[in-house]
Amino acid sequence: MEDLKLTLKQQIIESLNLQGMTPADIDDNAPLFGDGLGLDSIDSLELMVLLERNYGIKIEDAREGRKVLESVASMADYIAQNRKI
Amino acid sequence: MMQPVYISSAAAISPQHSFDAPALLTDVVSSNNGKLYVQDADYTKFINPVAIRRMSRMLKTGISAGMRAVQLAGIDKPDGIITGTGRGSMRDMELFLGDMIRLKEEALNPTYFIQSTYNSINGWLAMQTKCTGYNQTYVHRGHSLEMALLDAQMLLNENSTPQTYLVGSFDEMTEDYFLVKSKAKYWKKNIPNSLQLLQHNDTDGTIGGEGAAFFTITNSAANSICSIAQLQLLQEPTTETVQASINNTLAAEGLQLKDIDLVLCGMSGDARYQPLYTPILQNTTAHTTVAAFKHLCGEYDTATGFALWLATKLFQTQITPQVLIQKKGINPEIRHILLVNHYPQGTATVVLLKQYK
Repeated sequence: MEDLKLTLKQQIIESLNLQGMTPADIDDNAPLFGDGLGLDSIDSLELMVLLERNYGIKIEDAREGRKVLESVASMADYIAQNRKI
Repeated sequence: MMQPVYISSAAAISPQHSFDAPALLTDVVSSNNGKLYVQDADYTKFINPVAIRRMSRMLKTGISAGMRAVQLAGIDKPDGIITGTGRGSMRDMELFLGDMIRLKEEALNPTYFIQSTYNSINGWLAMQTKCTGYNQTYVHRGHSLEMALLDAQMLLNENSTPQTYLVGSFDEMTEDYFLVKSKAKYWKKNIPNSLQLLQHNDTDGTIGGEGAAFFTITNSAANSICSIAQLQLLQEPTTETVQASINNTLAAEGLQLKDIDLVLCGMSGDARYQPLYTPILQNTTAHTTVAAFKHLCGEYDTATGFALWLATKLFQTQITPQVLIQKKGINPEIRHILLVNHYPQGTATVVLLKQYK
């Protein structure tokens, strides 16, 4: 799981072009949106694309998507249980 | 009859040091590969760092030039935003289309799609300035900026109260764009240094360029740099129709060619279009300076924007840098500038600018 979280953080940094950030700067349990990493609605769409492209996961229910994208930890949990690739 | 409108501020990000340089064209940039790319500025002064990480170079240049023009005009927000672009955000469009092919139309990044739309820069400028007024983007190839200027002029002519519109242009050059245009014989085969471009006007082709230029345009003469007294657009121009347009423009203002202090020409070193400018070089008297600009910015749909920015600087400094001069006139003052620009896809523009005193 720790390897998955590290990979996920690297993918988030690359996908969202978070310049100057390293995986160590992202807390596993900190919120990705709002006060945490400060991501916005376009970033949420980019994260959905990241899940689909890298893990074959398509989230079609917005409420479920909101829960999955709460933090790196919640994303990693969901990926571990639902990944297709 | 259209009333003149006034330019109260101008800002440009171009292949030259046009954005931050303290003096005009003292450190001239050239290239040997047939391409003139913009000189990057410190975009973080004008764009939120969270938003900037997603932006392509063209978005950053367009938004920064627009915000700078607003800042220089000393206003909080314009009454409307009108822009022109010949191609829009080419890089984002190419990335989006490339992904569509590579990923078989699945899991496509939304950012490239959102930012590849022509009116992205207008939207950002509206959000940044909190301008909820008129917002329009014209995509009319070589007349894109000109259409935006005409629209602003018509809107401002309808209003008796002072209003200010932010009007601008932006275009970018990508490797793919350069490649496609090379197949259409746009560029010179034997590429000269860009500063020698105009001496190679006996062969076909030119060099590529890009840039963003923004202006605040008002119906109030107070504190303005100059007026746009006349603006004429030509389709499929010939040497004769360009000359007729120049004559009509001057006649409409009660002027003759000898009254023009400086003619700013869009000659691009392309032998096919040089005849459009030849009569200007021949007919101007010793009074008038003939200057050129495309060896400094390259050819692109909205190169008129760079020329218009340059004209405002010439009015403000009253100095014509040597690098611009094709034929030196004796008059030291710059009060009237005639801008004549041709774009290869069958358009030309004649603009008469008058310094406001």
